[in-house]
Amino acid sequence: MRDMSSTVIELRQIEKQYPGVKPLDRVDFTVRPGEVHALLGENGAGKSTLTRVIGGAVRPDRGTIAYLGNMVSWKNPRRAREAGIHIIHQELALFPELSVAENILVDAQPRNALGFISDRARHERAAEILAQLGVDIPTRAHVDDLPLADQQMVEIAKALVGDLKLLILDEPTAVISGKEVDLLFDNMRRLRSQGVGIVYISHRLEEIFEIADHVTILKDGQVVDSRPVRTMSRADMITRMVGRQLEQIYPARRAGGSPSGTVLSIRGLAAGPRVQDVSLDVRPGEIVGVAGMVGSGRTEVAEAVFGMRGIDKGTIELDGKPLAGHRPKTAIGRGVGFLTENRKDEGLFLNLPISNNIMAPDLGRVTRKGLIDHPRERDIARRQIADFAVATPSPDVKVGSLSGGNQQKVLFSRWSRISDRLLILDEPTRGVDIGAKVEIYRLIRKLADSGVGVLMISSELPEVVGLSDRVVVMAQGHVVGEVAGEDLCEEAIMALAVKTVDRRDVASRLGGMA
Amino acid sequence: MTTLLMDLRRNRLMLSYLIVAVLILLILVAGGALSDRFLTWRNVTNVLQQLIVLGLVSLGQTFVVLMGGIDLAIGSLVGAITVFLANFLDWRPDLIWLAVPLALLAATSIGAVNGILTVVLRVHPLIVTLGMSSVIFGATLMYRKEPGGSIPRALEDIAYRNVAGIPVSAVVLVVVFAIAALWLQRTRAGRNIYFVGGDPEAARLNGFPVGRITIMAYALSGLCAGIAAIFLTARTGVGDPRIGVALTLQSITPVVVGGTILAGGRGGVLGTFLGVLLITMLNSLLNFVGVSSYYQWIIQGVIIIVAVGFHTVRRK
Amino acid sequence: MAPLEATLPKSRTSFSMAALFERFGLAIFLGVLLVAAALLSPTFLRPANLINVLTIAAPLGMVVIGQAFVIMVRGLDLSVASLMATVAVLATAFKATSNEAIPAIFLAAIVFSALVGVVNGWLVAKRNVSPFLATLAMMIILQGVRFAYTGGAPISTLPPGMSFLASGRIWGIPVNLVTLAVLAIVLTVVLHRSRFGREIFMVGSNPKAAFLNGIAPDRVTIACYVICSVCAGIGGLFLLGYVGTVSNWVGQGYELDSIVAAVMGGVALSGGRGSILGALLGVAVLVVINNLVLLLGFPIEMQLIIKGIIIIGAAAFYRTRLV
Repeated sequence: MRDMSSTVIELRQIEKQYPGVKPLDRVDFTVRPGEVHALLGENGAGKSTLTRVIGGAVRPDRGTIAYLGNMVSWKNPRRAREAGIHIIHQELALFPELSVAENILVDAQPRNALGFISDRARHERAAEILAQLGVDIPTRAHVDDLPLADQQMVEIAKALVGDLKLLILDEPTAVISGKEVDLLFDNMRRLRSQGVGIVYISHRLEEIFEIADHVTILKDGQVVDSRPVRTMSRADMITRMVGRQLEQIYPARRAGGSPSGTVLSIRGLAAGPRVQDVSLDVRPGEIVGVAGMVGSGRTEVAEAVFGMRGIDKGTIELDGKPLAGHRPKTAIGRGVGFLTENRKDEGLFLNLPISNNIMAPDLGRVTRKGLIDHPRERDIARRQIADFAVATPSPDVKVGSLSGGNQQKVLFSRWSRISDRLLILDEPTRGVDIGAKVEIYRLIRKLADSGVGVLMISSELPEVVGLSDRVVVMAQGHVVGEVAGEDLCEEAIMALAVKTVDRRDVASRLGGMA
Repeated sequence: MTTLLMDLRRNRLMLSYLIVAVLILLILVAGGALSDRFLTWRNVTNVLQQLIVLGLVSLGQTFVVLMGGIDLAIGSLVGAITVFLANFLDWRPDLIWLAVPLALLAATSIGAVNGILTVVLRVHPLIVTLGMSSVIFGATLMYRKEPGGSIPRALEDIAYRNVAGIPVSAVVLVVVFAIAALWLQRTRAGRNIYFVGGDPEAARLNGFPVGRITIMAYALSGLCAGIAAIFLTARTGVGDPRIGVALTLQSITPVVVGGTILAGGRGGVLGTFLGVLLITMLNSLLNFVGVSSYYQWIIQGVIIIVAVGFHTVRRK
Repeated sequence: MAPLEATLPKSRTSFSMAALFERFGLAIFLGVLLVAAALLSPTFLRPANLINVLTIAAPLGMVVIGQAFVIMVRGLDLSVASLMATVAVLATAFKATSNEAIPAIFLAAIVFSALVGVVNGWLVAKRNVSPFLATLAMMIILQGVRFAYTGGAPISTLPPGMSFLASGRIWGIPVNLVTLAVLAIVLTVVLHRSRFGREIFMVGSNPKAAFLNGIAPDRVTIACYVICSVCAGIGGLFLLGYVGTVSNWVGQGYELDSIVAAVMGGVALSGGRGSILGALLGVAVLVVINNLVLLLGFPIEMQLIIKGIIIIGAAAFYRTRLV
């Protein structure tokens, strides 16, 4: 079925130079029809620049691109798209206020005899494409009314409008999980069987083994390895990406039995439509993982604890004393920190210095008679920067100029400084490369060892399994189970996560796992 | 009926159209009750004649706001074009066939300059158009400080002539709005305005020429200001650099009342049309009952706040 | 994104160079402008002219300080000029002919302005109305209230001492400049040294993150609008003292001028960035240019053109700054 001799795209000796940095250095990259080609590398390795070169958004300084056997040089992204190359970016390129149909047919609105766009034809055509994908999404719905997974399907549907030859997916699973990932993979397999070449970028290595045929690893703008997936192990990939061997990704668990006492105790919590009935405990010095699919209510539980969301029913107790009707300020005052999942929107003050960012929730500590003691603030910040190994020359540097990993470390140092009872983490390593990840895992364990309770929400199962002492699994707003000790493994969590979902889905999920 | 209600609850835009339409009816009823001259044909044609200028500048503003910008240079531009027209025609009344296209071309070009500056300098449109407004106003004043010039009879006619009892200007306005609605809803170029206004970043990722679309929206606003200036000159007979000063802010009220949100991407020209109708009739009614224009200002301010409050609160 | 990360260590020197230019660029520009003014026009450096320039600058400076606070929290106040005129009309409401009424006039002006600020801030922070539309509506409403009260023709019954605000001196320094300096120093300390000032920067930089760090962004925002309105109200009284007679349009154009000066002074419309000193330098540049246009015998309308070009140019200049 596959013609292995032909190629969809063939890049030869591609180079791109920006002032002071060379994101692509003599890169060769070939995608064959009917192949899922994984592109791996740490942040800044050159993956996005490479996809931009393929998609026509960036012009290489040197090198050649052959598309379907012909030399090409895209004038703009539109040309590449018209030729059959479709890129699905990490942040979805959708128009939230417009209908599903209009979003799908954004490039090719069907017209009537008079040359005007035909509303009816638009919806018919969009429905056809969605049916092809095997999803049932109303074409007249506004995109912002759809769940994230459906929005992603709309994005994929856009790719099917024209004659698709090459599909590039940039971390599509960062925002979805479980069942939705399966649906995405099913569709990728179908496209593969139709001869479409697929480039797949992801930080989750387990997905690479599940879906990819071939893998190319970039480091510092150069291809360090490119070969069939089956000839590589997980450890090989990590070593190649990082450029050194990582002895151990996850730090050692706490020795001895479970700690005594309780920091956080949630009983029968209902908060908004997504949190129905949640009970859980966190003990001092313990890392409790919260697993479950996106939309299962994990983040909302954290928001309720931190005072961002009203409580409808149930109780939240911190150190035996209730928390209710509170604001983040109250929670902070009681020694609770919350590292939110979106560091740019909800976490950092990008145009303020590192010192201000670190002290943000604890201004009282550096305030004398209403005025801020700047030297003292800088001193504290310097100590934090050293403790957390933030790569920066000075605490006065603006946070926005740091790399993603260092930004995350700044957030960590902020919250772990003030969280002397409980630290809540929501996707603590999202968008962070593997080197920084290991560092962050170590910091989390160190904090727990100092006696702080840690509640960690994560969609990355290996991370949940590797780091947590105990894992609480949520589905549809309920806690559906808990795994700890010997039983702690990805399969056990997954089995629980799909428990209350209807039976047909469970069957398909299990079928997929077998 | 229940499904209609359900639809309305989902679709705030339809609801706002309905509310504005009901308010217009209320004004008609109130006007009829308070004064027996309000519903006379004479007053109706009078109101219809007044619609054109506010209608056109608001339409121009709608294009820009839908695209996610704002145009605060409209008023100065209208003033400048009236001065150009009246002075040109004072000099050569016979060249009216040249003067009108030239005026429209100038207006469209200046509008495009607004767009080009926001695109090239990547400065907030508020600042760009505010600055441009100052430049245009200053330049016009340097040329002519006081109202002046004259226009031939032929031009004057378009402001006052009726066809089958209906003012020509009202017919023009309806036709222009209909074309604008069709263009925005059913052509590729028109939809582009919604794409860029809805999410410029997504538009860029989808390969839209965002810069060109932005410039087009401002150019259209300039064109509308140009047409408005022609009718304004026709009505007043002179060019007046200050005549547009109040128009800039007035052009925003109907847009907002009609449910087009300032953030861009949502709304439409039908709402603006209803907004223009509402504001013009309300002012006419208040004049009839003898409420001074001072109170009309207060009412206009309150309307803006109420309308905006209605549309923004739901967006969290 | 990637290039930025990779160049971080190297860009350190250019970073501080940029910061240096950012900090002193406007001051250097002002210096050049002053030298040019002195060379181009012999009258410029005459004490009478300089005092005249500063007297004009003082009320605008007060308004700009307030405007800076609002812009810092991602806002904009278009109602300042309308408020200035309304405060001037309010001053005549006392129908006072003796100076004893002046404290009462000040008190009334400040209270009234604060109320206006509360409403602006409430609309923006609590009702989610865009600052542009909220303050635009306030501008029109105040205009209506003012005209309705005066019937379009205000009477200028003012205590004679009001003119002291423009011409009076304390230890030889014009009283309006002393007031401006006091206001500037106090509010500089508030903005750059106090905890409340830090909260302003946080809210302006990222309102959602500010909330999650235990700050009440709504309250901070409302406070900024109140500060802005009170500054504008005080500025209105000083301008009234300078103009001498009340009209319905005292302060006309100050909404644009105050925004021009603040933006030129490096107060970013995107929030969370700027300083009082910068904003005041912006005022200085603006008034010197305006003065120069007059001294060089250009038509006064030229000021409008130059102002328009400056605001666009300044905004474009500051946009290119790092992060």
